[in-house]
Amino acid sequence: MMSTALLEDTVLSPTAGRLYRRQNALTGLLFGVGLAVLGWFIALNTVQSNENFGSDMTVAVTMTCWVIGFNIGIGTFNAVFAWVLGHDQSREDELYGAGVSQGRSRYFKYCTDHKVVGTQYLILVFVLFFVGGTLAMMIRTQLLTPNSSFLSPQTYNAVVSIHGMCMIIATIIMVSGPFANFIMPIMIGAKDMAFPRLNAMSFWVVVSAVPPLLATFFVGGVNAGWTTYAPLSVQDGPAMICFAITIITFVVSVTVAGINTLITVLTMRAKGMTFSRMPIFVWASVIGGGLGLYAMPAFLLAMTLMVADKATGTSFFVADQGGSGWLWENVFWIMGHPEVYVILIPPVGALMEVLSTFSRKPVFAYKMIIGAMTGVAGLSIMVWAHHMFTTGWAPDLAGPFMLTTELISIPTGIIFLAAIGTLWRGSNWVRLPMYFGFLFIWNFIVGGVTGIYLSDVPADNYFHGNMFVTAHFHYTLLGGAMIAATAGLCYWFPKVTGRMLDERVGRWAFWLIAIGFQVTYMAQFYEGFKGMPRRVANYDPVFRPENLVSSIGAYVLMAGWVVLLYALVSSWRNGAIAPANPWSAKSLEWHTETPVPLENFLQDPLVINDPYGYGGVASEQIHAVFGAHAHHGANNGDHTS
Amino acid sequence: MSSNQLHNDDSILEDLAPEVDRDLHSKHVRGTALLWLIMTVGGVLCGIYLTPRLMPHMFAKEGRDAVLTVQVFTVVAAPVAALVCAVALYSLLHTRHRASLEHPPKDGKPLRGNALASGAWLIVSTLLVVFLLFWGLTEWSAQQVVHADSLTVNVVGNQWVWDFEIPAQKVRLEGDKSLIITKAISMSQLNLPIDVPVTFNVTSKDVTHGFWPVNLGIQVDANPRATTTVHATPDRLGKFVVRCSQLCGLNHAYMYTEANIVSDSTFEAWVAGGATKPIGSLIAKGAA
Repeated sequence: MMSTALLEDTVLSPTAGRLYRRQNALTGLLFGVGLAVLGWFIALNTVQSNENFGSDMTVAVTMTCWVIGFNIGIGTFNAVFAWVLGHDQSREDELYGAGVSQGRSRYFKYCTDHKVVGTQYLILVFVLFFVGGTLAMMIRTQLLTPNSSFLSPQTYNAVVSIHGMCMIIATIIMVSGPFANFIMPIMIGAKDMAFPRLNAMSFWVVVSAVPPLLATFFVGGVNAGWTTYAPLSVQDGPAMICFAITIITFVVSVTVAGINTLITVLTMRAKGMTFSRMPIFVWASVIGGGLGLYAMPAFLLAMTLMVADKATGTSFFVADQGGSGWLWENVFWIMGHPEVYVILIPPVGALMEVLSTFSRKPVFAYKMIIGAMTGVAGLSIMVWAHHMFTTGWAPDLAGPFMLTTELISIPTGIIFLAAIGTLWRGSNWVRLPMYFGFLFIWNFIVGGVTGIYLSDVPADNYFHGNMFVTAHFHYTLLGGAMIAATAGLCYWFPKVTGRMLDERVGRWAFWLIAIGFQVTYMAQFYEGFKGMPRRVANYDPVFRPENLVSSIGAYVLMAGWVVLLYALVSSWRNGAIAPANPWSAKSLEWHTETPVPLENFLQDPLVINDPYGYGGVASEQIHAVFGAHAHHGANNGDHTS
Repeated sequence: MSSNQLHNDDSILEDLAPEVDRDLHSKHVRGTALLWLIMTVGGVLCGIYLTPRLMPHMFAKEGRDAVLTVQVFTVVAAPVAALVCAVALYSLLHTRHRASLEHPPKDGKPLRGNALASGAWLIVSTLLVVFLLFWGLTEWSAQQVVHADSLTVNVVGNQWVWDFEIPAQKVRLEGDKSLIITKAISMSQLNLPIDVPVTFNVTSKDVTHGFWPVNLGIQVDANPRATTTVHATPDRLGKFVVRCSQLCGLNHAYMYTEANIVSDSTFEAWVAGGATKPIGSLIAKGAA
């Protein structure tokens, strides 16, 4: 038995943590800006004079220096330097690194505790969604009237591009960041992630990727959309370099996080946590993270070549010099389609937990869900050219890509089957997470059905590049993934914050979101049916009424998110104290204290069943036993699987 | 504890099981089936009657193919989508736990899977996918048939205008008439004779554009240093818009022009007049 003294109450010597003691977000900022200014000054006096690429190279040097400087300042490289110099970290240093004795300031530091990292990610996701949402409001305001001059065409394109990329980054990390970090290790009975320092790194690296993205607005703006098709993107100013540095940095973060998730699940499971007892959300985190390891490096490669084209005069993507825009489109979508499922699979896993808990039933067809998620991930790497049906590249491949794309609807259908099978004859405890669960099912059905039109080449020849596509992917990614993630957020909020979410305000937010969303994107489907192209700053007056409706819907939708944010923030500060297990759920995260202690469990769990024993016989009802029944110290490295 | 009381209240109904369970069960099935039927009929009607009204009049078979595909796919998807929605809606309407939201209701039936349901679902969805694929490939391959004597039109995308050129060629019009174009015609609007198969050779002078003669239902990108090809046979008189469907920079929104589909005689008159006059003025004359 572990003593009752909590690890986080350990009194550390005043030197514990060494260099980390003097580092926080502010030193990161200072070092980042300092090194960026230094790099900028050197570049200005050397490479800037190159008449073709001078300013591109200067921006590349400055932004790279920012990223490296920030990470030096925050402490990303401390442990590596210390190890090289022969100073390995002591236990005290590790406890300091995990945030012991630092109170709230640990949220602004390079903290290795997975719960701190998860919380940091959650805040970052809020910030990114707020930025992306504000940009979306600017887009919809511009499109209120056909010939609006609210934004210049240049600014409009910049806003559209950064709205897209900001939302893509936010949605990739919206579940894999907060919940795969905070919740998933507890779910499998681990004390932390397999690589706690890499975990902190994945967070601070993605933080350092954000300023270059926003800097694009100040160096001319990205003109080419989030897809940055070449050669248009190669024509762009240095903003494209900032954009590429953001992506390259972001991919490093996602890769590190993905490896960490995989290794954690492979090696850190509690005794008895066999693969077939793992919660669906753990499977979803593994499959989503693993798919990211396949998809994201292609993005890093593409953006590296893009930087080379722009800043050094290579011509990978410049047709006039022997390159090919089609090459860009291929590499981009080889990343871009799996990436859709990197976004989608983890929230769907979270949703399954919500549906099971609030239906008071086991998830339906557990093994088929895992098979379906794996099948979706596998097929998703073979469908990329359906984004290129109308490009004229390889028309003979239209058939094969139509096949793979339509095949994906089979495993996706199984996920629907599992969702409705879980609801079927369930008790349906309609708490706030369940509201978002139902909304997900409706939105994702609409997104799925409209997807099959787009998978059909002759129909896509009408819909490609028009507002129908915009509406379709917002139904899947915002209405699907983000609503499922919101269900997960409302579900795990008591565990993460220690407070109950104010569901009365939350329901107001829900209705605004649900209705605003349908109005916004149904109007955009209509625009698409009528033939309005996407990514236009002004449009033909024939599209006026539906654009007006869509913009009004968008304002309502944004109002809903703001109300939800208010509910989250006010509950986080003043909400009722949450019990350890407010939902009477079975998975491990609900069977440890709230707030969750450092290293998660005061007594090690021994898992004896899957966490879905609702309504079953007594022996199935219990997911895990603690303490006397469980062998102490079995957590690290000693597994039965 | 109040939660226990709740459990007891809630479970009265359930404790009558197993004798009435089968009845209850079929009651659930009947309720859901009714919802499913209503939604399926709604979806099918939407597919047949609503979707074509949302889309513009098409000027070529390719465009009508797109409309028909939307209709057929909506009808085919309706039963599946309706089943998902019906089960979700039924469970929403049939929420048994209204007394208190504070405490979890009694557990539901521990259904961990059902081989019959899963198997049927898999088979049906696979058959549907096979149908979608068959439909798409059939339509697509029919569209790929190239008429040997089609009218060639060169399309060039520039930032941010479309340029069209009808190179010197012999055009076969209806009824074995033919029109010989001796000198290449350049035009800023897309003027085409009705019922003549057209091959568009599309390229770009700068960045990637998307050649989208909207009401023909065809689309292909204009890429620099490459020529892409697309075919259609306009079969309806009138005009529509040619747009750019690929973000191409600052004035992408303004990269559009007019397409005029005119009668043989109007087209001939226009060519005979040096192809310089706006074709609109001739349409009025031709109609008179």
